Amino acid sequence: MSAGATKKSASLSTVAAVWTRGGALMALLLLVAVASFLSHRFLTIPNLLNVLRQVAIVGILALGMTFVILTRGIDLSVGAILGMSVVIYAGLLEHNGMLVAIPLGLGAAVVAGLVNGAGIAYAGVPPFIMTLGMLSFARGLAFIYTGGTPIPILSESFYDLGNGYLFGVPIPTLILIAVLIVSAIVLARTPFGRCIYGIGSNEDAARLSGVPVRRYKTLVYAISGGVSGLAGLVYASQLSIGTPIAGQGYELDAIAAVVVGGTSLFGGQGSVFGTFIGTLIIGVLANILNLTGVDPFVQQLFKGVLIVVAVFIMSRSNRA
Amino acid sequence: MPTAVPLNIAPDGAARNDDVATLLEVRGLQKSFAGNIVLSGVDLSLAAGEVHAIVGENGAGKSTLIKLLAGVYQPDAGQIFMHGREMRLPSPRSAFDCGIVCIHQELSLAPHLSAEENIFLGHFPRTRLGTIDRRTVRQRTKELLDRLAISIDQKRPIGELSIAQQQMIEIAKAISLEAKVLILDEPTAVLDEPMVKTLFALLRRLKAQGIGVIFISHHLEEIFRVADRVTVLRDGSRTGQSAVADIDQNWLVARMIGRDFPAHALHSRKSGELALELTGLSLHGAFADVTFSVRQGEIVGLAGLVGAGRSEVAQAIVGVVRPTAGQIRVFGREVRISDPNVAAHLGIAYVTEDRKAFGLLPNRAVRENATISNLARFSRFGLLQLGQEKSFVRGIIERLDVRLSGMEAEIQNLSGGNQQKVLIGRALAVEPRILIFDEPTRGVDIGAKSEIYKFIEEIVAGGVAVVLISSELEEILRLADRVIVMRRGRIAATLPRAEANETNIMRAAALAGDASAMDSL
Repeated sequence: MSAGATKKSASLSTVAAVWTRGGALMALLLLVAVASFLSHRFLTIPNLLNVLRQVAIVGILALGMTFVILTRGIDLSVGAILGMSVVIYAGLLEHNGMLVAIPLGLGAAVVAGLVNGAGIAYAGVPPFIMTLGMLSFARGLAFIYTGGTPIPILSESFYDLGNGYLFGVPIPTLILIAVLIVSAIVLARTPFGRCIYGIGSNEDAARLSGVPVRRYKTLVYAISGGVSGLAGLVYASQLSIGTPIAGQGYELDAIAAVVVGGTSLFGGQGSVFGTFIGTLIIGVLANILNLTGVDPFVQQLFKGVLIVVAVFIMSRSNRA
Repeated sequence: MPTAVPLNIAPDGAARNDDVATLLEVRGLQKSFAGNIVLSGVDLSLAAGEVHAIVGENGAGKSTLIKLLAGVYQPDAGQIFMHGREMRLPSPRSAFDCGIVCIHQELSLAPHLSAEENIFLGHFPRTRLGTIDRRTVRQRTKELLDRLAISIDQKRPIGELSIAQQQMIEIAKAISLEAKVLILDEPTAVLDEPMVKTLFALLRRLKAQGIGVIFISHHLEEIFRVADRVTVLRDGSRTGQSAVADIDQNWLVARMIGRDFPAHALHSRKSGELALELTGLSLHGAFADVTFSVRQGEIVGLAGLVGAGRSEVAQAIVGVVRPTAGQIRVFGREVRISDPNVAAHLGIAYVTEDRKAFGLLPNRAVRENATISNLARFSRFGLLQLGQEKSFVRGIIERLDVRLSGMEAEIQNLSGGNQQKVLIGRALAVEPRILIFDEPTRGVDIGAKSEIYKFIEEIVAGGVAVVLISSELEEILRLADRVIVMRRGRIAATLPRAEANETNIMRAAALAGDASAMDSL
């Protein structure tokens, strides 16, 4: 299903984007080949499913981030919005149940995104600053709400959301794939998605062509916020605890996945499939380092090098 | 950084040394991209103190030739000689080291720095403490500008100067860096007539100082005003070369397009109901009390010098800027256009004068560029119908004769004329009832130009109301049913077709004691 959609989107994007995505895909395959050579445990179904489960949260964030970066923006607040939604889920689940907790947590995340978008699109605050402010604000709200102490989550049905399986596939992975498919369709097949690329390519030209630039930019940050709330749902369920520091630093992982996946930080070029592959590259790298027993602190170094090298290679291939 | 490599002096290269006046010589230059030959066996020579014009339609190979000379591209075959020595130019830096400097339409100056800072950027003279020696900078800039008779405030940030002045600073900078060969790529495309005159005066002074100038322009009359020799390119080959004194425009045009420039009879148009009415439209600091109307099937020309406020009027009509006073009526109904998408809904489309800044989605496909203005037209149930979209774009490509490798090509890789045609297609996607063209043939070659004219006439015949803003009198006179002349933000004259001629228009445009614009015509 996702493979079919991949093909269609490929025919839609420019040759350069295909090349970039092809490059990322080749890098992933190469990494998988090396990984299976380094560890016998790598290429087993349980391990691969584990990788897919582990990348789900950052992968979901990265998909929302892709929308933002395509418009030539950035969203530094996704980790903090995730954290804010996590404590809301945790705080409300016990007494009010899922039907109250989930809509309110998601709603708060969307509102935070809308505030980002309005500040950027209507007040003209640079995305970097606006979302940096939101990072601090949303994280602050999470601390105030919890008083600084994590709230345990006891609900068992909620637990399945992050830990259960459906048709043998982890539910977080299914959520990630669902978000991937929906965003791919939105970007490739709706006027809104097409305009996202237009805005990123040349915002003034898009505005002059009648694209409702401000509304769409606001919407893009709302999507990023909402998707962060969704990732928060998975997070809260997986860890069964609402800690105010949830998702700290995830914004960087999400940006890394987008960039490694070939989406240009200068806007107007890239795709969610690239981001998905970028997410997998980072996930597989972490997995193989774990399997081969590399110190987690050293893993940070690998990730840093990977991001820079990936962007370097892509800037080269784009120029050629 | 790779630098210029003087190769062994060939026997005939040594012979060339006798002719000391020859600065630059090019022989048999050849270049192809992905199997397409874009330049085949082009010869060119440039003497010290000569202005050598290169003309040709877009796609004729002018840009490629310039880029080969500027070290941006490497030739597949052929030689480049500087002062009789064969040179290889592996990079722009190496061309620069040889004394070849290319000045592009998009200037490469730092807008927040002053003229003197821009000129010395990268090689400031230092005091003994290692700080910038401001006094020397000031002194040497003054000498340089005096020598070239450029009068500007050298301390002002360059972004506050006019484009013409910025251009002159860029030329002065090149001269200060010992440029021997200046390549000017369509320097007049963004200048109005008085500015062109000033630029040409500067070129004559450069000539007197032994600088060789390669001059690219689409305006053929400029060739006769400033150039000594001219080379014509067509489809990558040289189709003519001559001293300018020996030829006329017909000679040039025949070699550029390989046929005679078609003469166009004036059609009298039948105009319909009032489409657009402006009443007392004003925008503080830009224009005031602008009143005119356009009927269906009519072209109203807006003439005037650059800076007369014409583009701002257009921007107010399409909602880019908000007028501070006055009314706009569209088909009799008063409207408030707060945003370009409001204008689009009213059936008003605008083709910008500044393709790069406000037109192109540079790294997106031609197809997406053409349809971004009205995606709703190609959507059903919220989803884009790619088949419909493609057939619309195919129609545009055929109707406007856009030359491209395919509609998925990034628009930034097309020539100016073809980009413009795609943007006209974008305006058509909204099925406009009112269409505003702002300098529709700027940076567009002769062939594409007459196609665009033909096309404008076609859509007007179909009942669209057209406002045509143009700094080219020929264009206005050829197309417009009525000419409105603006000067300093106000309407200076409204001329019916019968009374519109070059003298009347220029008189109205430049009346206020500004006789220089008159003289040049």
